[in-house]
Amino acid sequence: MPADIEESLRRHAKYSLGKRWDDLSATDLFNAVALSVRDQLVERMLETEERNRRDDSKRVNYLSIEFLMGQSLGNNLYNLGLHDLYRQALTNMGANLDTAEDSEQDAALGNGGLGRLAACFLDSMATLGMPACGYGINYEYGLFKQEIDNGYQREKPENWLLQSSPWQIARPDEACFVPVYGRIEHSTDRKGAYNPMWMDWKMLVGIPYDMLIPGYGGKTVNLLRLYSARSSHDFDMQIFNDGDYFKAVEQKIASETISKVLYPSDAIVAGRELRLVQEYFLVACALRDIVRLFERDHKNFSQFSSKVAIQLNDTHPALTVAELMRILVDEKEMEWDAAWDITRATLGYTNHTLAPEALEKWPVPLMESVLPRHLQIINEINSRFLEHVSAVFPGDIGKAQWVSIIEESTPRQVRMANLAIVGSHSINGVSRIHSELVKTSLAPDFFLLFPERFNNKTNGITQRRWLLKANPGLADLITGAVGDSWITDLDRLRGLESRVEDAGFQADFQKVKHANKVRLAGIIKDVLRLNADPDSLFDIQVKRIHAYKRQLLNVMHIIDEYLSLIEDGRQPVVPKTYIFAGKAAPGYWLAKQVIKLIHNVGKVINNDARASQWIKVVFIPDYRVSLAEKIIPAADLSEQISTAGTEASGTGNMKLALNGAVTIGTIDGANIEMREEVGAENMFTFGLTAAQVRSMREQKSYRPWEHYARNPRVKRVVDSFSSSLFCPQEPDLFKWIFANLLDANDEYVHLADFAPYAEVQESAGNAFRDQARWTRMAILNVARMGKFSSDRTIDEYARGIWGITSLPVCRQTTR
Amino acid sequence: MEIPVETLNGVSVALLPVDELDAGNAPEFKRDIAPVLQANTKLVIDLSRLRFIDSSGLGAMLSCLRQLSAKSGDLKLCGMSKQVRAAFELVRMHRIFDIAGTKEEAVHAFAS
Repeated sequence: MPADIEESLRRHAKYSLGKRWDDLSATDLFNAVALSVRDQLVERMLETEERNRRDDSKRVNYLSIEFLMGQSLGNNLYNLGLHDLYRQALTNMGANLDTAEDSEQDAALGNGGLGRLAACFLDSMATLGMPACGYGINYEYGLFKQEIDNGYQREKPENWLLQSSPWQIARPDEACFVPVYGRIEHSTDRKGAYNPMWMDWKMLVGIPYDMLIPGYGGKTVNLLRLYSARSSHDFDMQIFNDGDYFKAVEQKIASETISKVLYPSDAIVAGRELRLVQEYFLVACALRDIVRLFERDHKNFSQFSSKVAIQLNDTHPALTVAELMRILVDEKEMEWDAAWDITRATLGYTNHTLAPEALEKWPVPLMESVLPRHLQIINEINSRFLEHVSAVFPGDIGKAQWVSIIEESTPRQVRMANLAIVGSHSINGVSRIHSELVKTSLAPDFFLLFPERFNNKTNGITQRRWLLKANPGLADLITGAVGDSWITDLDRLRGLESRVEDAGFQADFQKVKHANKVRLAGIIKDVLRLNADPDSLFDIQVKRIHAYKRQLLNVMHIIDEYLSLIEDGRQPVVPKTYIFAGKAAPGYWLAKQVIKLIHNVGKVINNDARASQWIKVVFIPDYRVSLAEKIIPAADLSEQISTAGTEASGTGNMKLALNGAVTIGTIDGANIEMREEVGAENMFTFGLTAAQVRSMREQKSYRPWEHYARNPRVKRVVDSFSSSLFCPQEPDLFKWIFANLLDANDEYVHLADFAPYAEVQESAGNAFRDQARWTRMAILNVARMGKFSSDRTIDEYARGIWGITSLPVCRQTTR
Repeated sequence: MEIPVETLNGVSVALLPVDELDAGNAPEFKRDIAPVLQANTKLVIDLSRLRFIDSSGLGAMLSCLRQLSAKSGDLKLCGMSKQVRAAFELVRMHRIFDIAGTKEEAVHAFAS
């Protein structure tokens, strides 16, 4: 009831924040509302825990080095069914819910797709009533804040915990000790058996902080448990007593550094000791907690895998294989074979990458220094595994070398993907093509050894955040047309197909899209002082900046369109606003140069009166979840143009299509399955297939100079990079692009895909000109996105990997 | 540190008089337990007051065991809290020590 909510809000303002209601700042208002909502979450979390314990349900544990949660207030209110009530209560109290929501800082504990996937999965697991817990690290500094200075990305630290998050509940009583470093002392036990002892370690302490994750309907509230590293004592008293106060403080700071900062993706982390410690810290804290909870209600570890499932989100938590073995063998004194059976039956591994060079490896000497006992265990796992390999492939040394967990290089390296594959009963890719490529190209020898372990779980997104919350106008329109059951059963969107020819519905759909574009144009105006015309085609590419995602191909097409206009007098089919957003890893020079290029091209085009009514180029800084929620609903055209065979799945493609954008994309990742669902006629696909790209690379048949010589438009675009057209102040700034594009080793084959891309861009423009046709396409994209709900993905994980077939809580579908 | 020693059924039982054994006090413990180790071949160390032990503390315990083993003696431990037991298990030291629940049980184990 609004009156109860008002009372709760006033109570938190007064007793939690120590302020009068009328004196609250916007941040205070957010905190008061969040604390009030948290009360509701806590009630339901306790009920959920009691129910799970009573039912002795199998529990899913999702280990991920990243959780890209974004803002929580709006999402929590929608999932609890309290959004309208809180809005009303705040209005009654002379305040505004939007102000509170806008004041919340994003929890940016992730880089991009991998971390956001983990966040969507948490939402789906709770909505499906699944007993589940996410385990991660409570980074003090999440992903950096991106600022743009003269077109260059500048990174600013983002300390999201500075003012402490009202969503987090500290649990110091459940802290766990994590040993690192040390040495192995070889001894014999009381029975005379070999007994390696892990001595002289240093100790970290992991303090859990719980974020409460409500499912839609609020019946289930699960936990995301994030660990902060603390030193075991405030000071090392010995050092302090010896008089070295500063050394004591330094040691404390060094311990707490472990959870200080999120590593940017694409950074070269191999060899970075802190990252290895960070990965072990996550694994050790999570497993201590998982084992503690299991032992609370069970005595016999032979039941472990029937009560516990652990999913490894990529290789970052792959040390789980060795840590669980260590716990079972060393601490619980199980026989190796029994422990190994339990470990494999418990663990599942999700692969997220196809690039062999992106697979994690750690030098053996570093592993030995940081985790000496784990290295022993890994060596033992490997030795037993290689015995099996030589029995299956007698005399095939090559195969043994490929699948070995230890790479015989200098120095020797521990291959984390191999460890995860050997130690898991399930290995899945994240789209159909990706899962096939894992079997045929990334790990073919493993597939020969254990074909039954390999499977596919195509990624998905939660429609609660990406439609219900992000696009309330469209959500209301859909609910008016087909009811609200789509919120928990996205296949219900199919009902929209019967309205696709309905002129009234089309008009309403267009109205919603236009309003979203007006809102985004307002943001562009506020942030960049640029006018974006909401009637132009909003062509949007939002994602991390990376060579394989080919923002450069997009820019090349913009340049082609611009030069065709000003030099050939050939006008684009429709006026377009090209919108980019995304961050480059701080150490990734090429990606940062692409950001500079986008800005420079934008500067030239946006200031050229001949082009101003046709083309605008916009880069919105500091892409993050909350900004994505504003950009995505405004998109007309969704750019998903990675080189075929490089994007494992993509999930931005799904978010954009669900919000009524039409995709222009390559035959890559989940684009392929999206095309099957929405129909080829409702998507603009182009370019080489993954097989063609691979064959081109293998046969060295990519000849960029031929494309350059044969196609004058290609030549003109490529030449522009060696001229000063887009860098009059710094003439050679983009010459590297000229060289890169014409190098036969351009692994992203930009020039091979350029002409087909330009062609479908023109087709897309023509389709947009016919607004009735375009709207039909957009509606059908929305209507046919049912498959890409993370509810479907999680249901597949539950049945196919985790062995959970019936869910204890029915879905609640009333809004 | 002052380590109280009592005799039960002819076996010396030393009480570890601290609640934390770590890098800060492990050297002191090793120094002060040395005469007790010298005077006995069978010894029980009662850890019932101990709430926290780190790798330095574990190393000190191991050193006690080795000194007694070197003269064909034996060391038994008793009174471990769950947390202290977990530290021993972590490093597999529970496999080389004889660990009893109470000091009486530990003393009895010497007799059997």
